Amino acid sequence: MACMNEDGQWIVLMGLLVAVGMFFLALIINQSALVGQTTAEGVLEFSKNDIRDLREAVFDYVNASTTLAPGQCADIQKDIVAISLERKNAVVSFSAGDPQHVSGRWLHPVKIHYNNGVTVYNETVYY
Amino acid sequence: MVNDAGQLYTMEGIAAGVIMLLTAYIVVSTTSVYTAGDTHIPDMQLEQLGSDVLAMMDTPDTNRGTSELVGFVKNGTRVMMGGNTLRDRFLAGCKMRSGDPDDNLRAQVYLSYRTTGGSVNTTPLSSPDPEFTGRENTVRVTRWVQLPTEKPPGIPIDMSNTRSKAVLVEVLLWRA
Repeated sequence: MACMNEDGQWIVLMGLLVAVGMFFLALIINQSALVGQTTAEGVLEFSKNDIRDLREAVFDYVNASTTLAPGQCADIQKDIVAISLERKNAVVSFSAGDPQHVSGRWLHPVKIHYNNGVTVYNETVYY
Repeated sequence: MVNDAGQLYTMEGIAAGVIMLLTAYIVVSTTSVYTAGDTHIPDMQLEQLGSDVLAMMDTPDTNRGTSELVGFVKNGTRVMMGGNTLRDRFLAGCKMRSGDPDDNLRAQVYLSYRTTGGSVNTTPLSSPDPEFTGRENTVRVTRWVQLPTEKPPGIPIDMSNTRSKAVLVEVLLWRA
């Protein structure tokens, strides 16, 4: 190669630089397809709406428990537990205790447990 | 005026044009790479929208009144104010925003309940969408509803009518 023709070395050098640069850009674009995949899966698997929904249902249950007979309340509880397991694949358990004096009001301590295998949610709320 | 010289220049011009268009396309498309992480955003938005609309329909107009949603569920599959009306009102609630009529939004309403035998049954409340193929990218939004002791009209026969019950309204929501 030497002494054949030594013209155009800048062109060859710049060509090499451009080729290396394009290789890196292709690598970045290739990796970008995976960006956010785990985030998206995490967001989709997190059962935010199910938990909110369950809390509403439990609060409705507590409201109803002040007027209904205890047996009727147990039926509503069984409904929610059975349908949660069947339709939402979630193990659900909740209970409402006797009213306690909290900040000047009488509130039921409500325990809510939710587990769908991925998300576990436990809460004690005074309602 | 007209002669048959310069074909090579014409071809070169066309090739240059194609290369320029291709370059412009590649440059524009690389600025926004649609990654796998972006695919969940429309689903999330649709799920949140449906969930909000169901919550809105489940809110009574007056204190201690019954909500619109409970009224529809009580009517079951009846033609008047039943499952189909529930679906239509739900979709109307979803489309309630400025500008876009959003005709592609579809929904199907199901009801899950515990039968007198103790098992859980799911039954459609609204009539099936004729264009539903089962391959749509659907989201499911739900809402718990409490029904009183008496058996509401139009509700499945194996639902208990001697006790209060909690049932689950499920809405399948998708864009056609």
